[in-house]
Amino acid sequence: MPVRFLRNAWELADVSWESPLPVAVANARFVPADTLLIATTNLFPTGERDLLGFTNPDLPTLDGCGQYRKLLWIYFRERSSTTSYTIQARATDHNGAPLATGWLTIASGTLPGASDPNASYWGRLEIPATGDAYYDQYRIVVERTSGSGYSLINKIVGVR
Amino acid sequence: MNAERITRREMLKRLMIAPVGAAVLTTLEVREASAAALQRYYDPYFVAVLWEGRTRCDALWRSLKGDVVRILPTVHGATPYDRLYWTGYALGNAPVNVDMRVLARAVDHNGVPLGSGWREIGQATIQTPPMRWFRVEIPEGHWDEYRLEVRSATPRLVYSRLIGSQGYWRE
Repeated sequence: MPVRFLRNAWELADVSWESPLPVAVANARFVPADTLLIATTNLFPTGERDLLGFTNPDLPTLDGCGQYRKLLWIYFRERSSTTSYTIQARATDHNGAPLATGWLTIASGTLPGASDPNASYWGRLEIPATGDAYYDQYRIVVERTSGSGYSLINKIVGVR
Repeated sequence: MNAERITRREMLKRLMIAPVGAAVLTTLEVREASAAALQRYYDPYFVAVLWEGRTRCDALWRSLKGDVVRILPTVHGATPYDRLYWTGYALGNAPVNVDMRVLARAVDHNGVPLGSGWREIGQATIQTPPMRWFRVEIPEGHWDEYRLEVRSATPRLVYSRLIGSQGYWRE
């Protein structure tokens, strides 16, 4: 017995090579991007601080990020003085409390900049560089290790 | 008694329409007269035309809009787009030799750029025989503003379109 289906909303058609069953892409989600943070970090003083300027190592820079596959850290440096960065992440429970103390370091290194330490620079880092994120909280720490002080202007976009 | 002779196809069509009723159908909102709008999973915002038009290329670096003012973006509000596609066609009988570069920057909540200047995403030379289409894919998405610049030692007219794609992923 042939299998039939409703074609074009009104026509019954037999399934064949010429008229296969209609299919649609299911479970597809569009990828809107959300701006999660815009902040200027004062890097005139030395010492580690997160993008919001906090030095308390337990405070997250970003919270409620569990839905984002990637974070894009876009920044503008007024100078390219040598600056180190560390990106840490952790998960939280249903109440938003971290599952445990401390952080998982997912990336660290020297913040890319121009070869001239006095030159401004636009930069962009993907968090994480490979694979997917889906962590609940992030702490992004920067520290100017040499050169003149400057302002680091940041924007973080979460991509689903 | 008048008997109406109808075909089997016509009968099926009436059966499908009858429960809704002609009066209801006439009041249904009509959105777009395109087949794509009838697709169940089609979203008109999945891809968007960010710019479309004609550019006069000469020896100066010009935005696709024609200006040489480097602080002006060619497109803005491009944050949702995962990648951009630039498709065009250069008029003229001579081989095409057009330099192009893509600049990008981010803005704050007020639409003000985070800093001066641009990040140069890439630069290339489009070389094709005359009367050919070209296409450039810009994979670095989610910047807020882009400036696409072109120049050509031989003056050319380029018709082009810039598409932003949001992309999708599967669960």
